[in-house]
Amino acid sequence: MAPCAQSRLAAIAAAQNTDGGWGYFPGKESWLEPTACALLALAEAPEARAAVEKGSRLLRSWELAAGGWRACTRVGEVHWATSLVVTLHSAMGIYEGSTRRGVDWLLSTRGVETRAVARLAHWLSPRTVEFDPAFTGWPWQAGTSSWVEPTAHALMALRSVAGRGEHAGLKDRVASAQAMLLERRCRDGGWNYGNRRVLGADLPSQPETTALALMALDGHPEIRWGEMLDRVARLWCETESPLARAWLAACLLQYRGERPEPGEAGPASDLLVTAVEAIQWNRIMAAA
Amino acid sequence: MEPDHGGRMTRRRLLQAGVAVAASGTMACRKGAVQPARRAPVAIVRAASYRDDLLDRLLRGAAACGLEARGKRVLLKPNLVECERGGIIHTQAEVLAAAVELFERLEAAEVRIGEGPGHRRDALYLAEEAGYRTAIRNFEDRFTDLNRDDVARVAPFAGSGEIYLSRTALAADLVVSVARMKTHHWAGVTLGMKNLFGVVPGALYGWPKNHLHQVGIGRAVAELYRIFPRSFAIVDGIVGMEGNGPVQGRPRSCGVLLMGADLAAVDATACRIMGINPDQIEYLQFAAGRGRVADWRIEQRGETIASVRTPFALIPEFQHVRLG
Repeated sequence: MAPCAQSRLAAIAAAQNTDGGWGYFPGKESWLEPTACALLALAEAPEARAAVEKGSRLLRSWELAAGGWRACTRVGEVHWATSLVVTLHSAMGIYEGSTRRGVDWLLSTRGVETRAVARLAHWLSPRTVEFDPAFTGWPWQAGTSSWVEPTAHALMALRSVAGRGEHAGLKDRVASAQAMLLERRCRDGGWNYGNRRVLGADLPSQPETTALALMALDGHPEIRWGEMLDRVARLWCETESPLARAWLAACLLQYRGERPEPGEAGPASDLLVTAVEAIQWNRIMAAA
Repeated sequence: MEPDHGGRMTRRRLLQAGVAVAASGTMACRKGAVQPARRAPVAIVRAASYRDDLLDRLLRGAAACGLEARGKRVLLKPNLVECERGGIIHTQAEVLAAAVELFERLEAAEVRIGEGPGHRRDALYLAEEAGYRTAIRNFEDRFTDLNRDDVARVAPFAGSGEIYLSRTALAADLVVSVARMKTHHWAGVTLGMKNLFGVVPGALYGWPKNHLHQVGIGRAVAELYRIFPRSFAIVDGIVGMEGNGPVQGRPRSCGVLLMGADLAAVDATACRIMGINPDQIEYLQFAAGRGRVADWRIEQRGETIASVRTPFALIPEFQHVRLG
């Protein structure tokens, strides 16, 4: 394992909260997203077995009866990072009742842009936000619209369980969400948070959401992959955002089998960045 | 009811804050509610460029509107919805740096900076691009990413609902919205009050915070103002943004800084300077029961509106808000 990966795993292990989870920053309360990402990073490290078990116990306590996982101890509603827990379960070879219920929650959740009232509003004023409401993805929060990042994570989660063949409607949801991502692509060829054109003006893409959308599109034939991955590599060199660089590197790892090393700098104080840098996305997605 | 050290909130303080918010929620903002009695002071201070002595300007504005900060834990909340190096989307670094100095001069117990950007997740990177790290001493020690902060539940919100908000923001004795004077393609304008969207945690509500759009931008802004009654606004109109704001508009030099403790009054004054009718701005209508919007309820101090009026270009969808 590369020294930088080792240092990141050590930093993640050292930042584990006493409840077994991870906050977005050391010393902060545990949240579902950094906890799932930290466990995805540590899952393959034999020396982290105790930390993984402790973190997994916390996740079990956060499971909701109706399916999905809560955002954190203080917030009881099911959280979009349920996707990441499903992916984590797949990476750890777990497929149990909580996994099934999590997948069912994902399949039952969709953006409100498909509702009749929203479609009518869009039909009356299509220039306000230009998109095709025939396709839907996943919202950040139930009762809101679909956006690129939660859709990308949900697609990766569903891909990780697709081989089980147990969930009716999974293929259709994946197809619709991939179509949604393709339809919301910015004119410059990348993706932003999820609006390509508003009030007649094109919006620019952003590097982190471009990387996530490509990871979720899983070799889709409508993407010119060689060209796009070269662009991802260029963006990785150009951007100074550690989070964007981490996702761009993850994208390159997934499709090209190796990621650029983040350089001399030690692990970021941002635990999400550190975790995304350490997760073996190529193995996780290949296993799916 | 003092918070403990390290920017955390004690349970007692949190409980008291929750009770206060719940009590005030029974008078939740609504359009056309009776306005408070006293006139609200709003300071209008000229500043021709970011090379001016901005601390001097802010000290003058603070004196004009009677700002007190001694012993208070202050949270400065800039606007970093997005950022473009050298651009005008975000609150200018020089203004934020001067605001830090202002509150240190006013002997605040603590001056922190917090923001939860609306579109991109990497708040520290955006702060770097905005020049905050170089302009502000100990920036990283002062800064909290409000999108990924610990949270506390606040209810009611927008009627019967609830919302989770950054505990750092809820724990502050004074939340200071340090905003740029901009037009906004959904809200008409984004000034001191709209800037409060940044205290809502993206970790829960996403990027963008679409839940607030579902509630209704105007109503959500006014509700946040209700939840943070101990607030103050500094609006940077030295160079604002006109046209397709808050991200894709053009620079518009206006040469003023606005300050005041009544965010509705500050924003209404900014609107009048921008050639916009504040009565046509929905969030100000919702907030009118809590702050002052009508011109006769506001006491302008320093410059007059007429002497600094600079009409901002508006997109076609907002031509109706133009002052006649």
